[in-house]
Amino acid sequence: MNDKKLKAKDFITIGIFSALIFAVEFACGMLGFIHPYIVAAYVVLIPLVGSIPMMLFYTKIEKFGMLTIMSVLLAIVMFVTGMGWLGGPLIIAAGFVADLLAKKGNYKSFKLIAISHGVFCLWICANYFPVIVTAKDYRKNMLEGGYSAEYCDNLFRAINGKTIGVLLILCFVFGVIGAFLGKAVVKKHFEKAGIV
Amino acid sequence: MIKISLDPRTKLFMIFAVSFIVMVNAITPLEWGIRIMVTLIPILLLVTEGKYASAFRFTVFYGASLLLLKYCISESSTGIFSAILVGYCGIVAQFLPAMITAWYVIRTTKIGEFMSAMQKMHVPDGISISLAVVMRFFPTIKEEYSSINDAMKMRGISLGGGKVTKMIEYRMIPLMFSCISIGEELSAAAVTRGLGAPVKRTSPYELKMKAADFIMIGIFAVSVIIFITAKYFR
Repeated sequence: MNDKKLKAKDFITIGIFSALIFAVEFACGMLGFIHPYIVAAYVVLIPLVGSIPMMLFYTKIEKFGMLTIMSVLLAIVMFVTGMGWLGGPLIIAAGFVADLLAKKGNYKSFKLIAISHGVFCLWICANYFPVIVTAKDYRKNMLEGGYSAEYCDNLFRAINGKTIGVLLILCFVFGVIGAFLGKAVVKKHFEKAGIV
Repeated sequence: MIKISLDPRTKLFMIFAVSFIVMVNAITPLEWGIRIMVTLIPILLLVTEGKYASAFRFTVFYGASLLLLKYCISESSTGIFSAILVGYCGIVAQFLPAMITAWYVIRTTKIGEFMSAMQKMHVPDGISISLAVVMRFFPTIKEEYSSINDAMKMRGISLGGGKVTKMIEYRMIPLMFSCISIGEELSAAAVTRGLGAPVKRTSPYELKMKAADFIMIGIFAVSVIIFITAKYFR
């Protein structure tokens, strides 16, 4: 059998880590309802906290496709929890590019893994796109949906067509920083225990 | 009480329909009516499955947040307290229907049924296996997390005292350890049962669309259509 092909064990690994990442995302997402600026701060929070499971996941990747499948799963979960379908293709695109990048280093070169994690983290930004693309409708909807005007104003001050560039860059930068942090944590705990 | 067991495909359709409906904001009373209806259906289904406690909990949550949204909050409310209140009511009223449906589907679908349904829909193995694992794993994560939380409380590492980084590290790492070892066991068990073997899998579950399935699909399809027409073809 072809060694490059993904096996059942790989799929199960993907599932476990997707669930973990989503748990992190969900925990951070809850914070966002306290203040809209925290919604913008996802780009810092999620890459940093999520980097720990992600780096451990990277140590388990040996074949092409695992990151892509993970991004497909994230897109599905995001859709089901009501984040909309606009972000879906972008999430999958981010996952695919990240996969290609990591493959270039044969899933071993840490430099490429760090960059690839940065790209993968862009999926968080994909969730902002409905806010930007449909800004006017979204605002109207939110007001009619019972959010206060204050919350909306703050949200749109933090996330709009101008700041999205900054958010994307921040997301990438903190993804790379997160990669280093995650690697340190993985080294500290998991290598000692012999799991990696 | 009669037990209504739906086909997993119907359940998937319900999830998609509900998450579509919660994405579009309800404005007119008709739209709110539909939204409340699609929330009540999974709750009723939970009752027929004998999950009274969770059905009750969901009803109370949803009802309370709807009432608060309707009577206590307006566009002009300001201040940190109302921001939090708006936030929580907003999230509950907006996303709870999707969550209830997802909860219902996860709790009442056996993994075997799910896999067999996915196979019938010709979803690639990679996606269906990983999704099945994700579905199975959420309750496990919750369980593991609460036991780790207890242990950490005993050691005095909780949200109140100490550093945030420590708090995250001391919860995250053990959680990942246990998840990984559970995952190893899971894949060993799955491989033993022939998952990943290069043959077509058979399933003990005979999937058949029954009358109840068609009724449910009909109800949800009609609500989605009403929502679309109300939204875009006014």
